[in-house]
Amino acid sequence: MPVISLFAWMLVIAFLAFIACMFEDLESDIGSQSNPNSQIQLAPEMGYIHRYFNKAISGEGLSYALSCTIAGAIAMLMLLKLEPMLVAKGMSLGYAAVLAIPVGAAVGSLVHMVRASTCYVGREAAHKRFEQPIYLDVFYGHLLPIATHNFMAVICITAIAYIQSNLGLLSGVAGASNPFPLPLLCLIWGLTVGAIGSSTGDIHYGTERAFQDKPFGEGRRVVYHGQICRYGDCGIRTSKDVAAFCAKYGGPATGLTFGLIVLFENWRTVIGMLLGGLSVEGLANPAVAAAGGIGIGIVIAAVLTILNRMLEKWTRNKYGPFVGE
Amino acid sequence: MGEEEAKEEKAKPKEEFKLSFDYFNESRLGIFALIIGALIAIFPGLPAFIEGIGMIIVFAWGADSVRKTARYGLGTGVPSIGVLAVGFGIVGGIAGIAIASTHFGTLVVGGVEIAFGVLAGVALLALLGFVSGNLANGDKFIDMKIPGLERGMTELGIAGTLAVLIETSILAGTYHITKVLPNVVNNGLIAAIFILSAFGMLQPYNTCLGADERRGRTLLMSIEIGGIASIILGIAATLTLSAVEGVPLIVLGAVVWVAYYRAYMKACMEEAYATPGTGLIKTLGG
Amino acid sequence: MIETLLLVLVCIIIGGILSSLAVHLMPVGGAPAAMATATGIATGCVMLMTGAAVTGLFTASTVASFWATNPSVILVALSGAVGAMLMMGFTMFVANLIYIFGAGVVPCSGRVAVDPITRESQTEYKTPRTDGHGVPTVSYVSGILGGFSGGFGGALIYVVLVSDSYAHFSVATAGIVAMGIFIANAIIAAYNIGGTIEGFHDPKFKARIRTGLTCALIVSVLCGVIVVIAMLTGTLVGGVM
Repeated sequence: MPVISLFAWMLVIAFLAFIACMFEDLESDIGSQSNPNSQIQLAPEMGYIHRYFNKAISGEGLSYALSCTIAGAIAMLMLLKLEPMLVAKGMSLGYAAVLAIPVGAAVGSLVHMVRASTCYVGREAAHKRFEQPIYLDVFYGHLLPIATHNFMAVICITAIAYIQSNLGLLSGVAGASNPFPLPLLCLIWGLTVGAIGSSTGDIHYGTERAFQDKPFGEGRRVVYHGQICRYGDCGIRTSKDVAAFCAKYGGPATGLTFGLIVLFENWRTVIGMLLGGLSVEGLANPAVAAAGGIGIGIVIAAVLTILNRMLEKWTRNKYGPFVGE
Repeated sequence: MGEEEAKEEKAKPKEEFKLSFDYFNESRLGIFALIIGALIAIFPGLPAFIEGIGMIIVFAWGADSVRKTARYGLGTGVPSIGVLAVGFGIVGGIAGIAIASTHFGTLVVGGVEIAFGVLAGVALLALLGFVSGNLANGDKFIDMKIPGLERGMTELGIAGTLAVLIETSILAGTYHITKVLPNVVNNGLIAAIFILSAFGMLQPYNTCLGADERRGRTLLMSIEIGGIASIILGIAATLTLSAVEGVPLIVLGAVVWVAYYRAYMKACMEEAYATPGTGLIKTLGG
Repeated sequence: MIETLLLVLVCIIIGGILSSLAVHLMPVGGAPAAMATATGIATGCVMLMTGAAVTGLFTASTVASFWATNPSVILVALSGAVGAMLMMGFTMFVANLIYIFGAGVVPCSGRVAVDPITRESQTEYKTPRTDGHGVPTVSYVSGILGGFSGGFGGALIYVVLVSDSYAHFSVATAGIVAMGIFIANAIIAAYNIGGTIEGFHDPKFKARIRTGLTCALIVSVLCGVIVVIAMLTGTLVGGVM
């Protein structure tokens, strides 16, 4: 049943997306990248000398686009060389992917690690006048966690891109593949995974973990900015301690976001394709298929808006107006 | 091309040993990079490693332009202006390649391809960058009040387009569309070109940002990213063209990367307040 | 021929203007929102909008490949719009979950006293000396509309560039050029906003939208002219894979 295998591949993609975005968020927390980085950057100027790792490669979207696109480009080049060899020997094409995807992801995360290493020294050297030193143990100790978490995210994204660009072949449904080439899909999902990681996961780090010694349940006032919490569970905190905290809520929630987006995007497309008369040969009626997908998407968006409104109402009733000064 | 290479060779040790870009101030670096970049861009048949040198110089120019515009605060982060440059660059690069592929866009003199057509793409993007800069800085429009933003955006439009064009010619060896489409665009390597060029321009200033930022350090880093880009493009060129093109580029990239990564790290560690192996924070009483 | 060129130009201009409008509609808090110091999503508008638009572009490319030739422009563009809308919807919803259960703050607007959609008062829920926090209903709706508009713009540029009855570029060329034009417009719009915006109810929106759309018009006309020049050379046309 090709259509069922199409659904099965879709679930694999959604699962990989969940893992990818969760590790993406934890990786950004280890290096304090993206928006909470503004506090790590501000802290020495406020007299708060710290032992955080300052990883300001760029916004998360772009830095993930970099490592994923490099991974995708290397994987694509390897597939280009390996697949004809396998075809000549009459072997399955999958053997090439098993080699190409991890090697590509390894190169991508290696580049990411190099980029991360330049950031800590670069930003802290620019903090000379605030007496912020470069701690070498912080520098060396964070590079490997950054590379490994990044590798998990990048290998998942590359696998997603590979599956999507070969979906027709894998599921046996003609025309199910995405027409974009592998590196372009990696660029697209890299940008998206970074955008989601910075817009949801950062909140748990920036609001809660970085200001853990400030009152819970209120927005962080402008006067607190830069006064980050520098104590760990025991002793002085480094950025590695942040990941353990965010792995309990921020990371999985971020993973859930990307997983749900990929799941519902693919789900509505496939349901639309079924409405359009999907068979092994392809679509009977593409207009109906497209319209069906659009209709389902609008319904999902409406349900989400209602859910958000219910959540807001519940919170307002339960938490009540702001108390305190 | 002999002259430019000699210039390049002379410039390099100076940067490496003194860590100074004093001779190449903002205007000189711009003019130098524009001439070298344009010359290398119109000869797509040059060996890939010479094009790699051109790409690195264009990256340094772009990073310098990002530095001088983003210094005043853009309101939405340093990386945005580097991405803008490459967003422009992709549009201009594709237009330039399309023009160069026409029968009047490229002259063949004695077997050497001279693609004047790409300069039309560069010129169009200079215009687009100038208009955008005026829109962003004009008091009737966005009014960002950043000195030199018009010039910065024009330079970024040109630098982005030149970077995309030079990287395309590294991977395809020509601008003819029948080679460019399968070798660069349709297999998706254009995405790698997009993001590598963006990083060559946006990351140096974003990473070195701070009160004690120094131009020399920032530019060292843009050259270092150029080295990484050369290695990756070299791997790609080995597979799309031939090892004769790709391997020298990989070697160039590796040498440049090792030299400039070491120089950059050394400069940062020496110029930082202190570089202790470990230690607690003195103000916390540890 | 001339009608086709004009249609492509017009579609690129519409797409560019819609992407600029989308950036203005985003509830974007930038870095302060990550500390619950500003209302909206905790990232820069360029990254958020680009992430949403490329999600839409992905779906649009899948839908465009349903047709062997001559894809329906409006259906493909709508598919992209819905894709970007869903991306924004899920992101804002989970962001609210983290604000509410991870940091314990109530979503409220900092720029208006009363939510124009729910008619509920905002001021007493706001932490003093912050600019609001979380994503209240009005910002949520604004973000959904922004995602729709941005996804539509990006996918519209893509589909006219890839369709064989219009520009007929190869799939990858059309995808990357659409992304380039979209990003250029989104960044100019982001400079117009200058940091944070809450959505269409924000006073900033009314004050800046006209300038933003004018700039988007000029930039998109120029981008469109450059693409049309590239089409006129005739070398990119028919560049099928």
